[in-house]
Amino acid sequence: MQGANILLEPGVFPRLLQGLWVTVWIAAVSVGLSIPVGLITGWLMTLKNPIIRFIMRFYLDFIRIMPQLALLFIAFYGIARMSNWNLDATGACVLVFVLWGGAELGDLVRGALQSIPQIQYETAYMLGMSNWQSFVHVILPQAVRRLLPGAVNLSTRIVKTTSLAVLLGVVEVIKVGQQIIDANRFQYPTGTLWVYGVIFVMYFIVCWPLSLVAHALEKRWAND
Amino acid sequence: MTEQTVQVETVQNRQTDDAAAMLQVTDLVKHYAGAEHNVFDGISFSVPKGKVLVIVGPSGSGKSTLLRTIAGLEPIQGGTISLDGQVIETGKPGNENSGRAKRPEALRTKFGMVFQSYELFPNKDVLGNITMAPILVQKRKKAEAEREAMQLLERVGLADRAHAKPHELSGGQRQRVAICRALILHPEILLLDEITAALDPEMVHEVLEVVVELADAGQTMLIVTHEMQFARAIADRVILLADGKIVDRSTDPEQFFTDPQTERAKEFLHSFDFKRNRTEQAEEALERFDNE
Repeated sequence: MQGANILLEPGVFPRLLQGLWVTVWIAAVSVGLSIPVGLITGWLMTLKNPIIRFIMRFYLDFIRIMPQLALLFIAFYGIARMSNWNLDATGACVLVFVLWGGAELGDLVRGALQSIPQIQYETAYMLGMSNWQSFVHVILPQAVRRLLPGAVNLSTRIVKTTSLAVLLGVVEVIKVGQQIIDANRFQYPTGTLWVYGVIFVMYFIVCWPLSLVAHALEKRWAND
Repeated sequence: MTEQTVQVETVQNRQTDDAAAMLQVTDLVKHYAGAEHNVFDGISFSVPKGKVLVIVGPSGSGKSTLLRTIAGLEPIQGGTISLDGQVIETGKPGNENSGRAKRPEALRTKFGMVFQSYELFPNKDVLGNITMAPILVQKRKKAEAEREAMQLLERVGLADRAHAKPHELSGGQRQRVAICRALILHPEILLLDEITAALDPEMVHEVLEVVVELADAGQTMLIVTHEMQFARAIADRVILLADGKIVDRSTDPEQFFTDPQTERAKEFLHSFDFKRNRTEQAEEALERFDNE
């Protein structure tokens, strides 16, 4: 239990919280930007145009096949350096997570849109609605309900995957944890478990509300 | 056949055979891509203003497809559809996959359609379902649209369910809401596509009652139904559809149902005995069942 005292060292908690803030910031911005990208991607995926179809298919498969870490390295060490684009590590993370989140969410949107029966479009048509009106007021609200569970699952995956940012040198919560452990290696040789334990709880606190909200919405929309 | 010939001639003159015809369908041809036969092979009929035309026919005869082509949900490959003397749809061969007709919004709302499966919007309550189109499409004030929606709900006996979600309603109630949703746009012609086919028998009555009331109020309607007793009660005109053609038509529904004049009509109506009431038929069926 000696190691637990590492948590009482001055500055340990504030630093962990700072790291957590970086994690939450990257995840929140990525998820936030993934939503419009995913909606547009999903809509493009439902189009019949063969060229658009091919591009979207290629985009989705490329992102899916590549490990996120490889994508991060390509973005940060590859594209940004090669094109002389002054992209910092955090920016590279957000870029990759938005490309990934947008593709995955796009596929969810596509599935949800295609699951709405054709006759609902026909009903909107008979009521005189324009394509845009029927999409916004009839189709999308129903599609959102159907893709919600998958989208929340995706968000928690994005939160967890932000830990890869360490490897680009971003000082997020895991990196802070490592620094604390290293700095106290001799004073608290068994502190590792405690620090990572706190980080575990922090991830849980970030992701749990997402599940709660999703669960509440699912319940509320169960019959819609 | 003579009646069809007359209609063909009149269309060449760009006139309707029926001075008061609200809807005129002339030589309609419908074909599905890759199919061997036409679904409709040049059929013509008209619906006068304020009248009810009932389309009957065996399953698969294309009754619903006929409503869908008139509604603009399916492209036609020949013939014309006219509303109020104006041609609104002209068939073009080879457009099988062209999707829904490019009709302007104002024209689409002249047709009100009610589907077998109600198709209420699950994310809106009853009032929201009814007022969505008047507010979005006709740019009417929300308060005014809601007032009319409440009047319509009152008329179909559902005023107390205005804030219920569709899943909280029975099938019969949902279908009455769907009728209100079509009526609030003041369609010139109401297309009812087997609106009681998905309902429990005890709910059929409450929906048909509403339709009968609409007919009495002078609403022009085109109805596809399997309920022969209902068809007989409400029709001003009947057409019998089979094999892509109109094989019989009548402006005297009472005679059509009780004393059919053509072989095809006799054959089709054979299974429905209109001289006896339902209870008698049901008892007889049960008796047969017991004996077997």
